[in-house]
Amino acid sequence: MSERPTAEELAEAIEEFLAGEVLPTLDDHRSRFRMLVALNALGIVRRELARLPAEDDAELRELAARIRAGGVAPGTLERVRAGVAARLRIASPHYLESYRAGE
Amino acid sequence: MIADVREALQEVLGPISEPVLLAGGASKEAWAVDAEGVRLLVRRAAVGVIHRHTLSLRHEFEVLGAACDAGVKAPRPIAYIEDLDGREAFVMERLEGETIGRRVVRMPLPERLPVQMAEELAKIHALAPERLPFLEEASIERLVDELDEVGEPHPAIELGLWWLREHRPPRRDPVVVHGDFRVGNLVVDESGLVGVLDWEFAHLDDPARDLSFGLVRAWRFGVPEKRLGGIGDVEPYLERYNELTGFDVRPEELDYWELAGNVAWAIGCLTQAQRHLSGQDRSVELAVLGRLGAEVEYEICHLLERQGVT
Repeated sequence: MSERPTAEELAEAIEEFLAGEVLPTLDDHRSRFRMLVALNALGIVRRELARLPAEDDAELRELAARIRAGGVAPGTLERVRAGVAARLRIASPHYLESYRAGE
Repeated sequence: MIADVREALQEVLGPISEPVLLAGGASKEAWAVDAEGVRLLVRRAAVGVIHRHTLSLRHEFEVLGAACDAGVKAPRPIAYIEDLDGREAFVMERLEGETIGRRVVRMPLPERLPVQMAEELAKIHALAPERLPFLEEASIERLVDELDEVGEPHPAIELGLWWLREHRPPRRDPVVVHGDFRVGNLVVDESGLVGVLDWEFAHLDDPARDLSFGLVRAWRFGVPEKRLGGIGDVEPYLERYNELTGFDVRPEELDYWELAGNVAWAIGCLTQAQRHLSGQDRSVELAVLGRLGAEVEYEICHLLERQGVT
C-alpha cells in the first residue's frame, strides 16, 4: 500500500469538501456551474488515480520492523532521511526548501 | 440548532446574547455568548467523537477549577452542563487576546513572555494530584501502541522511538501536567501571557516532558530559529522554571523530551488522518495531516543527527 491518505483518497476528501461545504454557499449561477464542472474534473482525476497499482511498501515495512527490533546499523539514519525527503518533495516541497535554507 | 442551544443555555445562565459558533477544534464545539455583559465561552462535545486519552468535559472542568484556585492564569470555569441540547458541555470565562499560533509569533510581545510561561507551568506542576484523582499516568510506551494501531510503516518514527528507549533520562516523579502546553494553546496580548487554554490532555507525567512540548518545531509556527514556540529563547524559560520548582531540569532533558514531543506529534498526525479515513470525522484538514506528518519526521531525523546517530 502507498502512503495514506493516497492521492485517490485526497481527491475524494476534496470532492466531499467542495460538494458538501462550498457548493451550497455559492449563490451566483456562473460560480455554481463552474464548481460543478470542477467537481466533474476532480472525479476524473480520482478515478484515474484509482487505476494506478498500489505502491509496494514491503521494503519500508522490513526497515521499520528491523529498527523496532533494535537493528540500527550505521547509515540507517541517512537511508531513513532520504525516504522522508522524497515524501516531502511531494507533500510539502516548500518546507523542505526552507528547512535546508535554515540549516 | 442555535435556538435550541440558546434556550438550553438560558436555563442555566439567564438571558444571554445570540451564541456564535467559533471555528476551531474538531472534537469540541466552542460557542461565544455574553450574559449580562460577561464574556463567556461554551465548550460542548461534538457529535460522535470518541477521543482516547483525553479528559471528558466534566473532568476538564474540574482541572480548570483546580488550576484557577491555585492562581494559574486560565479561564475561570463557571458551570458544568451535563445535557446541553443532548450533549455534555461547560461554560467558562472568555479571555481576550490572541491564540492563533501564526499570528502570535508575528505580533509584538514582551521579552518576558518565556518567563511568564515558566511561571504558569511551575504553578501547574505544583497542583495537588489528590484533588484530581481521575488523572492517569502516561508513558512513552503508549506511543508505540498508537503507532501500531495506525499500521503504516514509518521508519523515521521507529528510529525516534528506538533512540528514546536507549537514552531514557533518570525517571522523575510524575506531577500534574497540562499535556499540550505550547503557543497556540495560550492567550497572549501585548502585555504577555493572559491565560492557558485547552486542558483536555492533562495527565500525570514527568514535568520535563511538559516543559519541552512547546519546543517542538511544528509549534514554532514558521519561526524555527526561536526554539520556544517561535516567540523566544529556551534559556530564560528553563532558568525561571528551575528557580521556581527546584526540579533542576537539565538542557539534555529538554533535548530528549523535545524529540519525544516530535515523535508524539508525528504519530498524532497519523492518528488524526485515521479519524478521516475511518469515516469517524471526514475532513480535508485531518486527511492532509497524514501527509504533513513527513515534516515532523524530517525534524526527527535532524534531531537524531544532532544526537550523533548516523
